[in-house]
Amino acid sequence: MSRVGLAVKLARRELRSGFSGFRIFFACLVLGVAAIAGVGSLAQALLTGLASEGRTLLGGDVSVELVHRPATGAERAFLSRYGTVSQAVSMRAMAYALKDGAEGERQLIELKAVDGRYPLYGSVALVPQRSMAAALSCTRTNGEMVCGAAAEQTLLDRLHLSVGGEMRIGSQTFRISSALAGEPDRISGGFSLGPHVLISSEALQRTGLVVLGSLIEYRYRVALPPRTSPAEFRSAAKQSFPDSGWQIRDRNNAAPGLRRFVEQVTMFLTLVGLTALAVGGVGAGQAVSAFLDRKRAEIATLKSLGADGGLIFLMFFLQVMAIAVFAVIVGLALGAALPFIVEWAYGAQIPAPAKYGVYAGPLMLAAVFGLFSAAAFAIPALARAREIPPASLFRDIVAPTGARGRWPYLAAAAGAGLFVVGLALVISPSPGFAGWFLAGVAGALIALRLVAGALRFLLRRLPRPRSPALRLALANLVRPGAATTGVVVALGLGLTLLTAVTLLDRTISAQVMDSLPGKAPTFFFVDIQPDETAAFDRTIARFPTARDYKRTPMIRGRIVSLNGVPAAEAKVEPGSRWALNGDRGITYAASPPKGTNITDGKWWAANYNGPTLISFDAELAQGMHLKLGDRMMLNVLGREIEGRIANLRDVHFSNGQQNFILILSPGLIDKAPHSFLATVRVPPGDEEAVYRAVTDRFPNVSTVRVRDAIAQVNGLLQELGDGVRAASLVTILAGLLVLAGAIAAGQRARIYDSTVLKVLGATRARIAGVYAMEYGLIGAVTGLLALGAGTLGAWQICRQVFEVPFVFDLRAALVTVLGGGLATLAFGMFAAWAALAARPAQQLRNP
Amino acid sequence: MHAPVPAIALDDIRLTLKSAAGPVNILSGISLSIESGEAVALVGPSGSGKSSLLMVAAGLEAPTSGRAVVAGTDITALGEDALARFRRGNIGIVFQSFHLIPTMTALENVAVPLELLGARDAFERAKVELETIGLGARLDHYPSQLSGGEQQRVALARASAPRPKVLFADEPTGNLDTKTGAEVAELLFALHARARTTLFLVTHEEVLARRCSRILRLKDGRIVADERVTSS
Repeated sequence: MSRVGLAVKLARRELRSGFSGFRIFFACLVLGVAAIAGVGSLAQALLTGLASEGRTLLGGDVSVELVHRPATGAERAFLSRYGTVSQAVSMRAMAYALKDGAEGERQLIELKAVDGRYPLYGSVALVPQRSMAAALSCTRTNGEMVCGAAAEQTLLDRLHLSVGGEMRIGSQTFRISSALAGEPDRISGGFSLGPHVLISSEALQRTGLVVLGSLIEYRYRVALPPRTSPAEFRSAAKQSFPDSGWQIRDRNNAAPGLRRFVEQVTMFLTLVGLTALAVGGVGAGQAVSAFLDRKRAEIATLKSLGADGGLIFLMFFLQVMAIAVFAVIVGLALGAALPFIVEWAYGAQIPAPAKYGVYAGPLMLAAVFGLFSAAAFAIPALARAREIPPASLFRDIVAPTGARGRWPYLAAAAGAGLFVVGLALVISPSPGFAGWFLAGVAGALIALRLVAGALRFLLRRLPRPRSPALRLALANLVRPGAATTGVVVALGLGLTLLTAVTLLDRTISAQVMDSLPGKAPTFFFVDIQPDETAAFDRTIARFPTARDYKRTPMIRGRIVSLNGVPAAEAKVEPGSRWALNGDRGITYAASPPKGTNITDGKWWAANYNGPTLISFDAELAQGMHLKLGDRMMLNVLGREIEGRIANLRDVHFSNGQQNFILILSPGLIDKAPHSFLATVRVPPGDEEAVYRAVTDRFPNVSTVRVRDAIAQVNGLLQELGDGVRAASLVTILAGLLVLAGAIAAGQRARIYDSTVLKVLGATRARIAGVYAMEYGLIGAVTGLLALGAGTLGAWQICRQVFEVPFVFDLRAALVTVLGGGLATLAFGMFAAWAALAARPAQQLRNP
Repeated sequence: MHAPVPAIALDDIRLTLKSAAGPVNILSGISLSIESGEAVALVGPSGSGKSSLLMVAAGLEAPTSGRAVVAGTDITALGEDALARFRRGNIGIVFQSFHLIPTMTALENVAVPLELLGARDAFERAKVELETIGLGARLDHYPSQLSGGEQQRVALARASAPRPKVLFADEPTGNLDTKTGAEVAELLFALHARARTTLFLVTHEEVLARRCSRILRLKDGRIVADERVTSS
């Protein structure tokens, strides 16, 4: 019989004794695999949904987007040649509730004006249900033209309106015909600052808001015939209108932002799942060690019968991996069920179209992660078992042999671990972040193990305390076979991750909530027309408490080439690519705006009137490999403007103030139609008055309350933070499993101790005190280690990844760590109950 | 004519073990030669080094110094895995505490050394072995379902099934009552007589030792007497 065949045969006989020694190993592996498989399956459901519903989400097979200007006649003709075209125009505007003909409440809205062909794919959900044409039509009532509008319920609530009520947008009166319950293409529209309102294209013209230079986005969706591919369309569009400045998106990538978000969150949660596997792996390694310890006599017997170390290793490796395979199957089943559970529990609340199903890809990935992690953590214990000498059948006093396994086995374990890390890096959309994260996990594992080892070393050498309870508690922590190291490492790693995630969440939240309002303006006013600027300035000037009033011309345009190289082909670092994807705000200035910090070059003369010069963001210039004097071509309103970089500036977006990556010298750009952007800071007492004054006087100006926008962003961040924290609890659960395993392994010894102590006269309260000290000490040490390691990790991520100042929220960190420590204590005491409840007589009769 | 090769030849075997209290000398220069087919009893007080000498001779423990040649092989020159492979077919061991594998039936326990040898008929041979010692009805019983005497008989069958050149027995009756012990001893000597296997028996029972052809007396890690037993 072959060696493997014999090992399989012996392993099968061994497995008859059941899984009792492997419960924790099994549970840890199931948990980790289920987490990774679940996250992966859910993400795949969302990504498949996004991909398959691409044309509905985009509103067409292709979408051509222009800022500031509608398509020209030639451009429209070109689009029409490719299929049915639907136009949707989006802008921000103010809606005023009309009560008895007078303006009342007002609110910033996201206005979308659509033509009769909208939507080309999918359908708009209106309550009460009615046709789009009926809902948005304009009719003359009592001599006044009133148009229909469908508005989201949030707007109706804020304006205290209901269906049938009236509101004014610009100079046009609208009757709310329906509540807008769903737009098929909403996801591809991006971040919303206000409730959505749907009107007809005709009605938009009546509002008077369409002025050249206003911040308006024109989207043309085309339904291509079946045989025409988006790629064909793209190439023809590029060839026919190379300078149109339009941005083309297609059904294959309808919501790139959302897709990237899902991918990033999936990556993070997969890393959390891997951490749970690492935490569980510590427990799994310990469970395998404990199992093999019980098998010492058996291994020695087999060796005395002629089984060599290799066969012993193979036999137990096969057993462990058989159990691992079973655990992986259970984990995969649970993970595969997660999308369906999510659909059942939250289906209606998920804004993206998910295709719930069983996906082989993420399941296979989770299986590979699970099996290789199991091997990585089990092999060292198995390698030690291989070294058990047959002489151990005769005596136990010999010095322990083979404390470590032989190097080829340790190398194999390290190889399996590195494979897991490598695979995680390869599949990650951000290998840099994943690398930092995994390095942090590995660093924390090593540090926790070293500290736990040092702790045992110190405890052994401490002078014996006088208190017998404390003496016994310390002895329990360091006695042979005590699981102190494993528990400290496993729980510590879980708590470290939770601490780091909590502190990161607090830092980002503080960045948004605490530091912004101090410096950020109270209002952003968008689309102030050139003929309104003087009146606008006067309106603000009436408020003596208004501070930092700043009004800047603004126009949007795209960077189309760098030194003659088209933007799409230019060599640009990934961190700077965003600036080339789509339109950016551009301004012009004769002299440097207040607070400008020029890092290279110098500003142009105040009366400069030559070829266009550019002041550019220094960091982006570095990412785009640009230097002073380099050429940059911009497309503004379909016209190309070329300029040279005259200076580089520091641009910080984190303070919420007006910021432009591109400031141009006046002379050419200022001749283009444009509007103005203004910001101002007012004390809370005057906020409402300023809001009223501006919105009363300038109905065409969109007024953004920064506080509302921040609250909205913060709300999203909080939800994300809560989700990530909840996911991180998986690692704590894995840590508690390891603790449970350690408690179960030591239970016999504990019952024996407690029996002897009771015989000697110790009360249960006194024995409970010993256990409380023991677990309290483990909890305290683990908590303190996690506090240190988690803080260090969060600080590093803030510095290296987010590049924001780290905020140490002592309270949040302490709550996390104390919670973990107390959970350890409670769990330990609960499990120790059996030892306390054991009756001495019974134990002495049946030891 | 060549002199017959001894089954066991030990030359100045010393064994020192580490312990928390410092190094302990277990065996202090033991030299002896046991002919093939001999039955040798090793007796001595507790702690005299009996089991250690058995472990060294059986290749379970490497001596600190000295040379041990068993069945013509210098086992002191072998590594651990080579020793394991050497034991297959050459050495059988019976332990005081039986050391049967609890997850395997009596039949499987006896078959294991034959399987390790690569015998295709391991189970048939194991079955015959168990039937020979009167355990034919216990083939599918697990160790926990067998009495102490039965367990030791299974252990004996396991040790002798591959027909080893040397059979080591460490206090084989030590964990058994008098009657069962006597039955097991009877079986042990019957197997020795049948296969003419060299028997190396560690015991502290004088009566049992007297059934061997030679008695070695050990004290403080040294052989203090080497007696030939004359059959009465």
